[in-house]
Amino acid sequence: MGAPAASSSGAALEAIQLSKRYGRKPVLEGITFAVQPGEVYALAGPNGSGKTTLIRLLTGLAFPTSGVVRMLGQDIYNGGYAVRRVLGAVVEAPAAFYPHLSGRQNLEMVAFLTGMSRPEARIREVLAKLELLAVADQPVRTYSLGQRQRLGLASAILHEPQVLILDEPTSGLDPQGIGRVHEILAELAWKGVAVLLSTHHLREVSVYADRVGILGGGRLLEEVRLGARGETYRLRVDDPARAAAFLKTVPGVRNVSLRDVNVVFEGSPNLALAALVRENFQVRFLEPDYFDLYEYYRERVKRASG
Amino acid sequence: MLRVLVWEFGKLVRLRSVQIGLLAAFLLPFLWAFAPGLRAQYRIELVSGWQVPAFALFTGMDFLFPFLTAMAAAEVLGSEVSMGTLKSVLLRPSPRSRLLGAKLVVVLTYPFLLLGVSLLGSLLAGLPFGLGSFLGGTGLGPGSFAGTGEPLTPGAALSEVLRAHALAGVVLWPLSALALLYAVIFLSTTAAALAAVSTLLLMRLLVAFPALQPFLLTSYLDLYVRSEAVSLGLPLLFIYTLGFSALALLIFERKDV
Repeated sequence: MGAPAASSSGAALEAIQLSKRYGRKPVLEGITFAVQPGEVYALAGPNGSGKTTLIRLLTGLAFPTSGVVRMLGQDIYNGGYAVRRVLGAVVEAPAAFYPHLSGRQNLEMVAFLTGMSRPEARIREVLAKLELLAVADQPVRTYSLGQRQRLGLASAILHEPQVLILDEPTSGLDPQGIGRVHEILAELAWKGVAVLLSTHHLREVSVYADRVGILGGGRLLEEVRLGARGETYRLRVDDPARAAAFLKTVPGVRNVSLRDVNVVFEGSPNLALAALVRENFQVRFLEPDYFDLYEYYRERVKRASG
Repeated sequence: MLRVLVWEFGKLVRLRSVQIGLLAAFLLPFLWAFAPGLRAQYRIELVSGWQVPAFALFTGMDFLFPFLTAMAAAEVLGSEVSMGTLKSVLLRPSPRSRLLGAKLVVVLTYPFLLLGVSLLGSLLAGLPFGLGSFLGGTGLGPGSFAGTGEPLTPGAALSEVLRAHALAGVVLWPLSALALLYAVIFLSTTAAALAAVSTLLLMRLLVAFPALQPFLLTSYLDLYVRSEAVSLGLPLLFIYTLGFSALALLIFERKDV
């Protein structure tokens, strides 16, 4: 992968005052946001909120009534088709392929259209990454929904893009497949790829997303930054009330509280666990207490529609 | 571009409308060759296998071939829309005009493929009647089926038949380009094919305005047997084809998909 370039603002992907109307009906209004290299930006919103239209505009499949999309600083509508060299995208769930061709042949076609020379090794690499090598030479029409979805991601990352845009990338996948896709996206972001995805799986995405844009009624209602993740922990023990009272006395453990049957605290999880075990508490689990994006999202959308 | 063209032709022959169309074009001549009732309707008795292609061409060009051409041209783009593959292709760093240009080449080639298959079927169906020299005409050259009074050699007959089929292919070009234009506008096979066929039928009705008649596509559907109309008809068909093609390319460049 080449070193990620960026625009003067540093953003890999920028939407500026993006609006789309069909006739007199506005579908999107004044959408402005930016995704930095290495950032994962999740788009959330109820059905009909404009997520798919926004993704079509961002990928250049549709054209806005007004506004601009810049990819690494270049206008994707007037910058010519070459701008799309840095883009990898899946805009449909399940991803669409030529059913009579095998998975490998479909990827060869993508490689040709993307201008890759000698793509064989890279095709093998992405097929292996997405656990599709065993079915690589079978016609796509024989693929399961999950296999097609994974082939979609394989085609999007084949040419090592610097901007990745995915519409519902985990739709139709089993829990193992969802986990694998999230791992790959987090890894790509770590390598500097700007990732934008639309999703309904907010709890899973909040583990590695940096920001979440909440769409509602064609507007970007709010951007939530998920920066403080991993600092709060929760645990479940046999006697939560007594454990919470005890943890308040442990040095290095702060802001202890009870939430339902869980004990929530900030500070060192190692110190808290060691102290509880020493006091013979039966600790069932201890894990980071992620910000509950799903609950927040539900509340935000409810407020907007109310 | 060559690789894209090969792909496009590969996709074309997998289209259901193309497979059905080619089968119909192949079987139609057998109907003429072995259905005496139909020949009686035209008051013609076949004296040579070289006359079968004319029967197939007359009946095919009346409605079947234009319809099959419009269907195929509409489905070339419409099938990609319904499968979702159009979006996948347009996401790649390749100009939209290259994709549609390749499709245009394919849909303009299809009439010749269709007519070629019809000709093959005609010659096979004509075998029992013989394909040697005969006294009469092919129905596609001077003197129609009666001929010029001189025996017609197989070489001369083949030349007349090939010329007529080549002209018929060009006659179908504007319809191919028009169906592709409608497919770009509607992004739907059914809507595009219906619109193209409707346009053709409407144009046929416009003969009610004699001033318009020389400029209508439908005035030249039988150009392959009217050599006197070639000098005006052929340039007009080219202009229609170029116009519809250019419009399709222009609209597709900024079309939401």
